[in-house]
Amino acid sequence: MDATLTVLFYSSVAALMAGLGVVPLLSGRRPPLRLIGWANALAAGLMLGVAYALVRAGLERGALAVGLGALGGIALVFLSHRATGTAGLEINRMDDVRPEYGYQVILVNVLHAAHEGIAIGVAMAVSLPFGILMALALAVHNIPEATILSSIVTNRGLRLGNAALLAIATNLNQVLLAVVMFAVAVAAPAVLPWALGFAVGALIYLVMVELLPESYREAGHTSIALVTLVAMGMVVLLQDRAQGP
Amino acid sequence: MNETLIVFIYAMITAVATGAGALPFAFLDGLSPRVASYANALAAGLMLGASFGLVAEGTEYGSAQTVAGGVAGVLFILATQRWLSGQDEISFGGVRGAGARQMVLMMVVMTVHSFSEGVAVGVSFGGGAALATVITVAIAVHNIPEGLAITAVLRPQGVSLPKCAGWSIVSSLPQPLMAVPAFLFVEAVRPALPYGLGFAAGAMVFMVLVELLPEAYDQGPRPAVAILASVSIIAMVLFQHYL
Repeated sequence: MDATLTVLFYSSVAALMAGLGVVPLLSGRRPPLRLIGWANALAAGLMLGVAYALVRAGLERGALAVGLGALGGIALVFLSHRATGTAGLEINRMDDVRPEYGYQVILVNVLHAAHEGIAIGVAMAVSLPFGILMALALAVHNIPEATILSSIVTNRGLRLGNAALLAIATNLNQVLLAVVMFAVAVAAPAVLPWALGFAVGALIYLVMVELLPESYREAGHTSIALVTLVAMGMVVLLQDRAQGP
Repeated sequence: MNETLIVFIYAMITAVATGAGALPFAFLDGLSPRVASYANALAAGLMLGASFGLVAEGTEYGSAQTVAGGVAGVLFILATQRWLSGQDEISFGGVRGAGARQMVLMMVVMTVHSFSEGVAVGVSFGGGAALATVITVAIAVHNIPEGLAITAVLRPQGVSLPKCAGWSIVSSLPQPLMAVPAFLFVEAVRPALPYGLGFAAGAMVFMVLVELLPEAYDQGPRPAVAILASVSIIAMVLFQHYL
């Protein structure tokens, strides 16, 4: 398969997997808060695992660029939160029925999907097998995030089918950004360590500013720690097996 | 025999260097909740960054063993926590109760981590005097953020600065103790290394996720905690890379 098509395919898979986020909601009952907490922890662990893999790939190509890129990624996410008024937004307030809250949650999801798309694109530029692994890890990670989004919007009366479509829609920018980042990194390889660093910084910051603190409010520390660790461990193990260059 | 003594002395230097990590806290009022939150965030980031390095090193020897070691490390910390909560009166550095428990856990984690580091140092000493010096300097400098992380947890609880420095050094003592036998028995020790590195990493990451980060989020604003933790992860990863 042509490389760009590979990127297109796997980033689309990642976006489409978000549709599966509604599965835990099929029973019609509101999912227990603990489950939402574990969903956050799973997403967090996968992102940290991906960050670890990207850091390893980046350090070999220019450590300083990775470091500076990471600072840039952290800064961008921080500023985008400030600019959109979503700083410190708690994304799991089930009982908040104001319209603005709904839009804010969707906006936050779109912003985050962007960074994940960048991560997929740069990982693909490192090597296709590595990129595929990262895309799949982020695809799996999209599911718990979508569950969280879906529980909020179904609580407001959106039907499950539409919630699934909405979850996918918020992730579509991943596809565009993955392809664009891939093209840029392939055309200008000097960009790669910067872009890897950027993705790493953004992913780690997202975990620290949102996924982890949210999860601690929803489930016990020990279970969160265990879920996060297992998720990280799996990505680390798979990454090594896939021989990321 | 002379060479063994040199290994020991070098490793002692690295242990003492850990105490230097307490210095930044000489300039801070360590006791307000905000500072405690930021200190926990900093410690969390440094330990996560260090774990990235440990896992990276371990996977070079064998990823499955590293992960297995990681599982053991997590179980060890869980067991230690259980044991600690069963103890009636824990007192540490003049502090009692929940704060003391957290400090004891931190000391256990960092001391265990030093065992693995000591073995890693000993194993790598086989390359001659120049390499040994480089590695000693590297480990000593690497120990400073560890001392910082320990002080960041102990100081906000009210432990005096000299005691923080002292406990930091204590936590690194396993390094010289393990470096010598590791150096002498390199071939026997080498297979155990990925397990040890994984163990240390698993214990540290678990400690960060189950104690340090929740504490930080409890006592300080999310964005600040997140920035501190993220930046210190990156800083530690780069630091280790350049050493």
